[in-house]
Amino acid sequence: MYLCVTFCTCGANHISYLRLGRVVSLISAQRSGLLTGCSLAKEDPIAAANRPLDKNLLRYVWRHTRSEQIWILFVIIASMPTYFLVLDLPVRIINQPIQGVGFETATATQRFLDFTLSLPEFLGGGSWVLSEGLELSRWPYLIALSSLFLGLVCVNGLFKFYINTYKGRLGERMLRRMRYQLVDRVLRFPINHFKRVKGSEVASMVKDEVEPFGEFIGDAFVQPVYLGGQALVAFAFILNQSFWLGMIAVAIIAVQITLIPYLRRRVLELGRMRQLTARLLSGRIGEIVDGITAVHVNDTSNYERAELSSRLGKIFFIRYELYQRKFFIKFLNNFLAQLTPFLFYVVGGYFAIRGTLNVGQLIGVINAYKDLPSPINGLIMWDQKRVDINIKYAQIVEQFNVKGMTPAEMQEPSSEKVAPLEGNILVSNLNVTDDTGTTLVEDADFTVPINGITAAIGPLGSGAGAMANTLAGLYTPTSGRVMLNNDAIFELPQAVRGRRFAYAGSESYLPQSSLLESLLYVNKHAPLRERDIADLGVELHPRSKAEAMASGNTLLDYYADWVDYDAMGISGPEEVYGKIHDVLDVVDMTDTVYQLAMRQSLDPKAHPKLCEKLVEIRGLFREQLRDSGLSEYVEVWDFDKYNPHATIAENLLFGSIVESEDFNLASLARNEHLLATLTKENLDRDLFNMGVELAETAIELFADLSPDNPFFEQLNFMTPEQLEAYPPILGRARELGFDGIKQEDKLKLIQLPLGYIEPRNRLRLLDDAMSARILKARQSFHQHLPETLKQQISLYDVNMYTPVNSVRDNILFGRIAHGFSNSGDRVQEVIRKLLLDAGLEDDLFRVGLEFDIGTAGKRLSEAHRQRILMARALLKGADLLIVNRGLNALDSRAQERLVKKIVARARGENSKPFGLLWVLTAPHMASEFDQVLVFERQKLIETGKPDELQNSSDAYASLTG
Amino acid sequence: MSKLKDEVDLLRSIPMLASLPVNKLKLLAFASDHVSYGENEILFKQGDEADAAYIVISGCADVLVESGGGKTSKVAELGPNSFVGDMAILCDIPRTATVRANVALDTLRIRKEHMMDLMKESPVLAMAVLKELVQRLAKTTHDLSDAREEIARLQA
Repeated sequence: MYLCVTFCTCGANHISYLRLGRVVSLISAQRSGLLTGCSLAKEDPIAAANRPLDKNLLRYVWRHTRSEQIWILFVIIASMPTYFLVLDLPVRIINQPIQGVGFETATATQRFLDFTLSLPEFLGGGSWVLSEGLELSRWPYLIALSSLFLGLVCVNGLFKFYINTYKGRLGERMLRRMRYQLVDRVLRFPINHFKRVKGSEVASMVKDEVEPFGEFIGDAFVQPVYLGGQALVAFAFILNQSFWLGMIAVAIIAVQITLIPYLRRRVLELGRMRQLTARLLSGRIGEIVDGITAVHVNDTSNYERAELSSRLGKIFFIRYELYQRKFFIKFLNNFLAQLTPFLFYVVGGYFAIRGTLNVGQLIGVINAYKDLPSPINGLIMWDQKRVDINIKYAQIVEQFNVKGMTPAEMQEPSSEKVAPLEGNILVSNLNVTDDTGTTLVEDADFTVPINGITAAIGPLGSGAGAMANTLAGLYTPTSGRVMLNNDAIFELPQAVRGRRFAYAGSESYLPQSSLLESLLYVNKHAPLRERDIADLGVELHPRSKAEAMASGNTLLDYYADWVDYDAMGISGPEEVYGKIHDVLDVVDMTDTVYQLAMRQSLDPKAHPKLCEKLVEIRGLFREQLRDSGLSEYVEVWDFDKYNPHATIAENLLFGSIVESEDFNLASLARNEHLLATLTKENLDRDLFNMGVELAETAIELFADLSPDNPFFEQLNFMTPEQLEAYPPILGRARELGFDGIKQEDKLKLIQLPLGYIEPRNRLRLLDDAMSARILKARQSFHQHLPETLKQQISLYDVNMYTPVNSVRDNILFGRIAHGFSNSGDRVQEVIRKLLLDAGLEDDLFRVGLEFDIGTAGKRLSEAHRQRILMARALLKGADLLIVNRGLNALDSRAQERLVKKIVARARGENSKPFGLLWVLTAPHMASEFDQVLVFERQKLIETGKPDELQNSSDAYASLTG
Repeated sequence: MSKLKDEVDLLRSIPMLASLPVNKLKLLAFASDHVSYGENEILFKQGDEADAAYIVISGCADVLVESGGGKTSKVAELGPNSFVGDMAILCDIPRTATVRANVALDTLRIRKEHMMDLMKESPVLAMAVLKELVQRLAKTTHDLSDAREEIARLQA
């Protein structure tokens, strides 16, 4: 059997036929323009990705930064002469021009910039004059030397600057490479491995645990070479002076070298424990956050606190012991370093007194020894850090060298089209077990035509779902074969299954993005069209590509257009909305999208025309309300009228607030201008009294409810958190009254009625007279409105679009009246019709698709998330759609309707036909399908057409009956 | 005297809710909506998903049931203080009948989640609901046996 692969070339599609097995090699050979560059790295990236990570950090660093490490060492050596000159020059300046050495006579001169290279005595001496220099008298000589000093300081500083940034960049590149490789591995972990890993632990490893490596990597090789060199030179001096005293130094260093690793063993163990406990802590915190509802409904917060405290305690004691031991080792090191001069004094002094060693030699040794401890200590510190970081590294690597990872070539990027699949999926002797050894599917043999309309039924755990997940590649079979025509399905690159199959399960996790992005996600396999970054408002660093390459990251362009329009059966981005409308219609979600659009706030700068049109619609809407007798359903804004269906605050402000820290609805009563207006109109006392009544009611009704009780949604003038503060305020208000109470309490009580709406709250606190007074206060409030507040109140102006308000509120330009049945729906209908007539439906549909679905898609209901999963599976344009109990959060009637619609679509209604393999939640829907697989106790017990099974199979009849 | 107080009295007049303590009745009234319907407006349709129950404050409404053949027959008329739509929100079943306002109708609309929450918190209410349901079941059974007898008598 052959598979057809089409290559995207400029304009023309040329088709070639080849065996599936060759797809991989072909894809790597024929990369399109956007994909090249991946192969520019030294090592074949595929082979590199498949190799387990190096177990040793130094090997890992050396493998990737060899040439950089050598270069930086070279630069450091090159910087040495300047460094020594900077140290040396001040002495010369003081001695010669200032104190006058060499300038004993008034006419004496000194040579400046005369270079003579001399060898030290022990190398045989001798000197070469490199430059004669200039003859300078005392004063110019001072200036010349000082200027030279300044120049050298600059050069030295620049060297340091270069070395430090170079090291930093080296470290950051390595970090980037490491993080990239770790996540690359996560993307290739076998699916069942995810049952054992916690997301937050992986995140903590990738983000925090690798962080300290960055600093070390720059010093990984430079430091030991540099310090070692220094130590060797100092050591050579000592040996040169006295062999035996040198041997003392050797003996002490030998003690250090043997004793310290021994002491360090426990420190390393502790370091490992520290890392593990910290990682577990972040995993545990992730669990608390994810399972927060269970904490609240079961009152287990204190159990969690205790658990947390015990964990933190463990970490504390590990770290405490770690400190104790670390500092003990430090103490020992220092002690041994000081022990050496002690021995020099005692032993050397003894020899000197006996006359076997001359005093000059002893002083020479002691002087030379001054330079030895600091490089040795540096080396020990470096080694300490190396071991520490190596342990951390090994700990991380262990977690990411997982058995059974998907080989990198299976996920190799390819912008070629994978040709449509035909034929059958042949399953023989399929066995699937999970990691605990429980059988999920046993000995299943069946054939599913790729373009067939197949249902699988059976209770939960019967094997139907596991079968579907196996075909989708989510489970790996323990034994048996799954063949797509003549090829084992698991050996095909992910591009084949990932592009030609679609999948909709019941698990409805959606990463945070806009609705549009969420829908298009399934068709983003490779960057297909370049896009102008400037249009996207993105600023890329000019070196971003070069840096990605230097860190071994992928060069695929994130900002390109990845969406495979071709697969959706459309030619480009312009048609995508129509297509999305089409699939959202199938899952009954278009209305939802319009409703989301109505709730969005639009930025007039981004949608200038639309906002202008919406203001026009507002006018039409008001006419329509008058003409169709619906005017009682909406109370429109009128500066000279109190709007009973809006809050008192809205009536006072007559505008929407652009919320800011010091001016917002929640603490409106604190605003000086508003308070002054209320006082002037004598409203403060009345609002205070209303506040007292509202607080009384709220406390009476809500005080004994938990904050997440659904009743709280009805408490519009207070939040559950605020409620707790009111009983004592209320007590003081009763005792002291309006005139005696503290300003703070007074404001808190005046704040309450600002959220009051009479027809909604029905407490009869607001009569017509009071409304009229508030109206008067509104006028006074605006008459004397300070400039600063003008910026923060977006006034209700019938000719202006209010950006802070939703689309719906902008059209309404008022409030929907309370107390009428379906008033909201009717008004909605009128608005919808107006938008349709104005040709704005498409614009609004687009606005709706911009809706941010929230973390894990939680701003949508589960049923809506499942609809989106289904819609995008349909959008994908795949050859086979596998549904594993998808849509099961919908009520049964909606499920039935959608199954019928999707089956009809698969048969070619309004779409190109495609295959379906549906594990049904409602088995009686099986009659809609051509072939049914009946599962029971992990076994496939019947296969056949539904009408045949109806008569012949008891299991089918009882499941569907 | 607030409107809320009248509504609490209304709630108290419903046998199923009468046993609730005053502050819970007040809470329920506070959280409920006052909704008016015009003549011939539909409160809900048979087969719809149920999200609320209604107490008639004033006016009257017809309860209509659509039988298999598409015929609609009026099975009851609701006057002030009657509680309707309670079964569907308590048992999570689709509406078993259509309710249409006969004349201008004022109702108090009680949301399903509020009713369920009160049930969870108040065993007294749960018992009262149970009692009410059993009584209705007994009545239905009684009606059914009467109807059967009637059919038998007619057939004979």
